[in-house]
Amino acid sequence: EEENTQKEMSFDFKAYMLQKGNSVNQALDNAVTLKEPLKIHEAMRYSLLAGGKRVRPILCIAACELVGGTESMAMPSACAVEMIHTMSLIHDDLPCMDNDDLRRGKPTNHKVFGENVAVLAGDALLAFAFEYMANATVGVTPTRVIRVITELAKDIGAEGLVAGQVVDILSAGLSDVGLEHLEFIHVHKTAALLEGAVVIGAILGGGTEEQVQKLRKFARCIGLLFQVVDDILDVTMSSQELGKTAGKDLAADKATYPKLLGLEKAREFAEKLNTEAKEQLAGFDAAKAAPLYALAEYIAHRQN
Amino acid sequence: TMSMHTKFDLYTYWTSLISEINLQLDQAIPVKYPEQIYESMRYSVLATEAKRATPVMCIASCELFGGSRLAAFPTACALEMVHEASLIHDDLPYMDDDLFRRGRLSNHSVYGVDMAILAGDALFPLGFQHIVSNTPPGLVPETRLLRVVSEIARAVGSTGMAAGQFLDLNYSEESSVEFVQEKKFGELSECSAVCGGLLGGATDNELESLRRYGRTVGVLYQVVNDVLEFKREQAEGGGKKKGNSSFAKVFGVEKALEKAEELRVKAKKELDGFEKYGEKVFPLLSFVDYAVDRSFDVVGD
Repeated sequence: EEENTQKEMSFDFKAYMLQKGNSVNQALDNAVTLKEPLKIHEAMRYSLLAGGKRVRPILCIAACELVGGTESMAMPSACAVEMIHTMSLIHDDLPCMDNDDLRRGKPTNHKVFGENVAVLAGDALLAFAFEYMANATVGVTPTRVIRVITELAKDIGAEGLVAGQVVDILSAGLSDVGLEHLEFIHVHKTAALLEGAVVIGAILGGGTEEQVQKLRKFARCIGLLFQVVDDILDVTMSSQELGKTAGKDLAADKATYPKLLGLEKAREFAEKLNTEAKEQLAGFDAAKAAPLYALAEYIAHRQN
Repeated sequence: TMSMHTKFDLYTYWTSLISEINLQLDQAIPVKYPEQIYESMRYSVLATEAKRATPVMCIASCELFGGSRLAAFPTACALEMVHEASLIHDDLPYMDDDLFRRGRLSNHSVYGVDMAILAGDALFPLGFQHIVSNTPPGLVPETRLLRVVSEIARAVGSTGMAAGQFLDLNYSEESSVEFVQEKKFGELSECSAVCGGLLGGATDNELESLRRYGRTVGVLYQVVNDVLEFKREQAEGGGKKKGNSSFAKVFGVEKALEKAEELRVKAKKELDGFEKYGEKVFPLLSFVDYAVDRSFDVVGD
């Protein structure tokens, strides 16, 4: 345990994120090229290359490398996960959904390209994610590629991401949203894709069933953690600091962890999830697990 | 043997497949929590008026090469799921703005625009999941399944149906109605024929013939649809609010019918190389005539 903490301290997280983030950005730029019809592809690239933190693709690559795989084995799937994440943001920002004008400090996709192109660009990113996984993955057996396609599809569909969004929409304005209900929303809306990213990386890298299960649990904890921290930031930071509209949850009277637990208890819950996540990494080689330790730490203590 | 297909009973072939496809689609989308999304998905996918032309073409193409229809059913169902997903999104207010589809309210008219978007977003991945999880192991090599997934993704994607929808909405004199229709209606039909061929073990050359055949039949079907719709609109008034790529509207009914005959000949010609498979090619040949003549109603009475 102590040794792990030391490895974590000596690990240069900033340099790691920068280097992996650059690789991911490069791969995304190469994956989605400009072609006819230009406007759809411009819209896809506008949101995909808008400089997100690339937490999901980096998690995917880190999990793959942790179990003995290479970055190149995971890269197409890591990109696919980011395409799905981007697609869900584009659709989520639409006027009929969350109605957001600002995303990552820039006007949202439909503000720039119109609602119809935003819907189509999202659909196209969704489809391309699967095409890219199926076509561009190299050095991995077809059996594993099929497994990761199944995993991604399950995580983003009506049993995953979409379920979270649906329950979120149906909960708006409800006065009696409890903790369990809130957790359902976040486990599906946020944690499912983070979980998918990690599990997909672990499968592609050739992880054992036991390793995949541990990493799944790790990812579920940091996925929920991600949302708890998001809720806390929404009430404690400004729009400028966040690069998106702050105080939105409060204004919409949405159920959030700070609202249900109070700010202090929400912070405690975040710490508990962080600890639980890190416990899952105990059985792995400490040096190889350092990026995932640091990512959990980053998700817990990020400022935007 | 090529003319023998006129005696082939397409109606029975088609309708018996419809009931099996409907059964499998019904089982593929059980209602769970949160019920609203499953109900919205089921509303569109299980519409009783759906003709299931896309899945039936996939199964017929698979059977052409001696493939088992058991190998084709999951992909056939998946094609229907992604097809419905794109129809649900096409009907949205800022797209084609259609309140109705197949004579009843469109998905967003019943479930709201937000649910309709999410139902589409859920049906695309469900389609891919359905193929890789349900195709019986051993019947199709895994590398072929991956090609099927990628083929479907490409067909619905940014250079396929999504491009067709975009060009249709931004229709101008410069963009050709034929190009829009190839994208919007030819892609899925092409994809369906090619996926069936992939599952049945077709060679790359045979897949190319199926590609051209499928694309041609898809456009042909739509050209005839446009004529029928144009005539109905003339008689009843009304029609689509947006989306302009009707061959009949642009060139007139007579030219559209000439075009249809041209496409009928072209589609059949693509099947020339399959004569060696004997009567297994009859379903694909009969589709071509059905697309023009509409000699029977597949659903309803």
